[in-house]
Amino acid sequence: MPVIGIPVQELQRRVGEELGRDRLLEVLGDLGCDVEGFAHLRRFRCTRCGFVIELVGKEEIPPTCDRCNAPLRDDPKATSELAPLEVVRMELLAVRPDMFDPAGLARAIRGVLGEETGLVEYPVGSPVMTLQVDNAVRRPDSRRPHIVCAVIENVHFDDDSIKLLMKLQENLHWALGRNRKHASIGVYDLDSLQGETDLVYTAEDPDDYAFTPLGAEPGSPPVGLRQILAEHPKGRAYAHLLESFDRYPILRTRSGLVLSMPPIINSEETRVHLDSHRLVIDVTGTGSRIVQRTLAILVTSLLEHHPEAQLRTVTIQNATPSDDAARIGDGNGSAASVLTTPDLSLQTMTVDPAATARILGLPLDGPRVAALLEKMRHRVTTDGARLKVEIAPYRNDILHERDLMEDAAIAFGYRNIPRTLVPTLTVGKEIESTVIGEKLREVMIGLGFLEVMTLSLTSPEQSDRLLGLPDHPATPILDNPISGEQTQLRTSLLPGLLTTLARNRHNALPQEIFELSEVTLRDPGAETGAAEHLQLALAAIAPKIGFAECRALLESIAAELGWPLRLEHADLPFLIAGRAAWMLAEDERVGIFGVLHPEVLERLGLQNPVIAAELTVPIAGHVQSLRSYPS
Amino acid sequence: MARSLPPDQAQVLQALRSDEEKRVSDLADHLHLDQAQVSAAVVTFEQEGWVEIRTEEIEEWSVDPDLPRLADFVAPRTAIARALVTNGGRGAIPQVSQWTGLDPKEVGQAIRPFTASGLGKKEGGDLVVDEGALAALVADDASGPPPSDPATRQTWLATNLATWVGPEEAVIRNLASTGPRSRTALREDGFDVGTASTLAPLALPKNGFQVKVRRARYARLTAEGARLQSEGVEARREVNQLTPELLANGEWRSVTFRPYDIDLATERRWLGKRHPLQQVIARTRQAFLEMGFEEVVSPHVESGFWNFDALFQPQDHPAREMQDTFYMKNPGSSPLPDPAMVGRVRSTHEDGGETGSVGWRYRWDASKAEQNVLRTHTTATTIRELAKNPRGPRKVFSIGRVYRRETIDYKHLPIFFQVDGIIIDEHASFSSLLGTLAAFYERMGFEKFYFRPGFFPYTEPSVEVFIWHEEKQDWFEMGGSGIFRPEVTQPLGCEHPVLAWGLGLDRLAMLLFDRADIRDLYLADLEWLRTEPRCR
Repeated sequence: MPVIGIPVQELQRRVGEELGRDRLLEVLGDLGCDVEGFAHLRRFRCTRCGFVIELVGKEEIPPTCDRCNAPLRDDPKATSELAPLEVVRMELLAVRPDMFDPAGLARAIRGVLGEETGLVEYPVGSPVMTLQVDNAVRRPDSRRPHIVCAVIENVHFDDDSIKLLMKLQENLHWALGRNRKHASIGVYDLDSLQGETDLVYTAEDPDDYAFTPLGAEPGSPPVGLRQILAEHPKGRAYAHLLESFDRYPILRTRSGLVLSMPPIINSEETRVHLDSHRLVIDVTGTGSRIVQRTLAILVTSLLEHHPEAQLRTVTIQNATPSDDAARIGDGNGSAASVLTTPDLSLQTMTVDPAATARILGLPLDGPRVAALLEKMRHRVTTDGARLKVEIAPYRNDILHERDLMEDAAIAFGYRNIPRTLVPTLTVGKEIESTVIGEKLREVMIGLGFLEVMTLSLTSPEQSDRLLGLPDHPATPILDNPISGEQTQLRTSLLPGLLTTLARNRHNALPQEIFELSEVTLRDPGAETGAAEHLQLALAAIAPKIGFAECRALLESIAAELGWPLRLEHADLPFLIAGRAAWMLAEDERVGIFGVLHPEVLERLGLQNPVIAAELTVPIAGHVQSLRSYPS
Repeated sequence: MARSLPPDQAQVLQALRSDEEKRVSDLADHLHLDQAQVSAAVVTFEQEGWVEIRTEEIEEWSVDPDLPRLADFVAPRTAIARALVTNGGRGAIPQVSQWTGLDPKEVGQAIRPFTASGLGKKEGGDLVVDEGALAALVADDASGPPPSDPATRQTWLATNLATWVGPEEAVIRNLASTGPRSRTALREDGFDVGTASTLAPLALPKNGFQVKVRRARYARLTAEGARLQSEGVEARREVNQLTPELLANGEWRSVTFRPYDIDLATERRWLGKRHPLQQVIARTRQAFLEMGFEEVVSPHVESGFWNFDALFQPQDHPAREMQDTFYMKNPGSSPLPDPAMVGRVRSTHEDGGETGSVGWRYRWDASKAEQNVLRTHTTATTIRELAKNPRGPRKVFSIGRVYRRETIDYKHLPIFFQVDGIIIDEHASFSSLLGTLAAFYERMGFEKFYFRPGFFPYTEPSVEVFIWHEEKQDWFEMGGSGIFRPEVTQPLGCEHPVLAWGLGLDRLAMLLFDRADIRDLYLADLEWLRTEPRCR
């Protein structure tokens, strides 16, 4: 989870109340933020592009500018130092992207503190631009079918507010955009479009199209799309998103000035500067809901930061139909439509206050629930016995009435909720395998054996092959192991015990250990194709130990299970021939034991004899045959 | 009552006196015991305060018994003097060698004792006797005064000298017949030990005459010892081991058990013990059983359906990516359960179905639900149980291994234990959820809790559980919890609120056993398992 730093001073200023630092941390926690603490950021501005680099602790200036790629570290003139900034650092709360920046966070805090409650509505002005969607972006070879747009006029940036915009963009890319895959944002200087108000969203042939990407030296020649993906830092970072595309998405003016190649990089010509006053914003992506939501969060946040700004709309022609329509239809064939974006319409839902009181276990009536929801910045009106709730467009997490009940609980404060127990009496009961498992654990501890636990993921080398056995045919195999040492589930316990002895060569002898755990075997009759079997394994190492000692142990264990000791000669490569036996119960081979073969000892680097045994545990008195070893 | 002692000690005690010191070596000879046994006995008695020991240093003289002709030993200097007297009082070294039968080297070595003891002197190459000194030497034993006539005088001298015995000769002859003796004893017998101590080493080949300093120990009874002796001591056999034979024949009554040095290190006996994590598991199970929960289990290889879809986790959720979850190659998939239920789950994902939710708004794919994974939480277990029997009231819990695609380091393992629980009850509420979680952690020994809003796809409201660790003075996150969303419960046919939680047990074990490295739990050092103080 990425960590963000919210400027403390700005947050406190916006909250409007002189909030002590401890109280601030408390309120953030009560909202669900995972707060790390306070920190000071050192800040440097890239001389070329104005990008502000923030450094935590002993972090050094990066070799090149993250935005324009200018070399920074070796040239003292490449950066200028700004005043340090105190921030409160916290993990990004992915479900609440409206709280990623100081303004949005302050909006929420003012609500729970009761400073300012109810819904904030943001005025939406008339259309100022049109955007034509070309069918090319809906074709299977270049699918990024959804785009929404907005214009914001009369913004005035300073270092802090321009940085905040960039950070918000980055965080939204992560949280909603899934690293730009589902949604990516572009912000441009409207005045760089030379008066053009008609945009086109299309897909172009990468071998036959070029523009000047962000970070190129001003006036430098256009770069081919393929070359941008291969060479530009952002191109390299996000090239995988266009991997399967034959044509690459391009946002341009009707006359051909490129704004961006979504979701990779903007053009240098349309770059936003400190003195940009009119912004064009676009969000492209794979789903209509996610691009709409991302744009709504971004523009409402901008309006919070720039109260003097006006939001204007863009008319999207030939827009790709919404997900709902696409889901119901076949996706490509349904009629395209005209959209006006951004869409800041409110989501409406009703809540039953009585059900809210029941679910939370709190004595809440209608007005009380309404007041709590208003603290969470919703607009609440009465609708008979229910409450009608209007939800701001920046909230991305309200799917059901139940989500509003949680909002009410958060506004109430989890710390204020009394802790009770359900009044219903029920009777506790453990499963059969627990009962027998605990009994066998007691037997083994009574015999002086030390319990160990080993990893249940293993590899052929560490399991069957360690014992000189063929790979077990019923081994469950992972599709995406993270290391060569954990490629499968274990089918037997002994290899783990023997490895434990090998790891403890330096410790005093004798060593007597056991493990009681499940192994997993593929089983076509099992619902998911594999099933667990509870087994017991033991191993002991000592200078003088042999078959008789092992037989004696097995006799004790069998007796505790109520079995007479019945044995049969066993012939397995990891046990010395003639010193190995199967244990039988009800004519099933339920266990194997014997003296470990010197070859295995050598493989493990053990220099004393070892006895070992593994057996299945009968569940509810049912004998299970041992399938871990070839019989 | 007579004191009982081991037989040898009893003998020694009887032989000691309070009015007379007894030398330890004499006692040993006398009692036919080993000197070491007697020594040990008197040292024991001294520790008991029964005897006083005095230690004396003795100079012990001895001759090499292998040397020839010691019984009538004649020192070279005497032999030279006799030869010279017989041959005119003077002679060159080769002549003297011839006369005495000593080889010239022996003659040469004898010159210094010959001259130093005043028998004669060396003039040029000749040795010359000092007749006056010889006469004085033999005068005491001579039959009469030395004659004045030189010729007679020489005969007289030769005769007397032939029977004269030098002090070193006397001592050497004595030692040859008696064996080693102390210098004191020799002096007491009238030997001239002063002169002999100088001349004897010179008269014999190297190491033929030896002087050793020995310690002699003398013991005398104290008043306490004397009292003990007068009361009588009883001899008992001392044994190391109590044996079946001693018990069978009753002999144990007449033996003493040799005392142990209680500080002597012995080999430690190791206990069988429950593994620390198993202790936490057992305590956890006990806590939920006591609260009326029923235990359940489910397979480790689980379908995407039960691990994710039934929990309303959208199919493009990051947790479902190959990055975070282990997918199975074999067995690679599972058939989906009851089609009607699967249909309800599908429509709930897509548009909320009958649940009143707006849903996730995407096209649900059955093949993703069929894919097998290693279960990422035991919520897969409790949700199966909920589907099997959605009617409350019920309390269910499950403890088991879960799997996450993590690289092994001190903080992470791809496997860990969780306890999941659910309460299906029409009276269940968020308040009773917090109360149940607090009750559980109170049973595990914690007193302070912090409940923070949490965000999980399948619960609403959701809460993250923190416990306060008094020793470490910090909050520790234990897991997630909440009330299952209607999008989870309704498609499974459950109309009651369902409280649910999934709590990590490894992390709890690390806190309770103060481990910094999670690998200690599974790649254990037996020494730690044997000696961990919190496992006592």
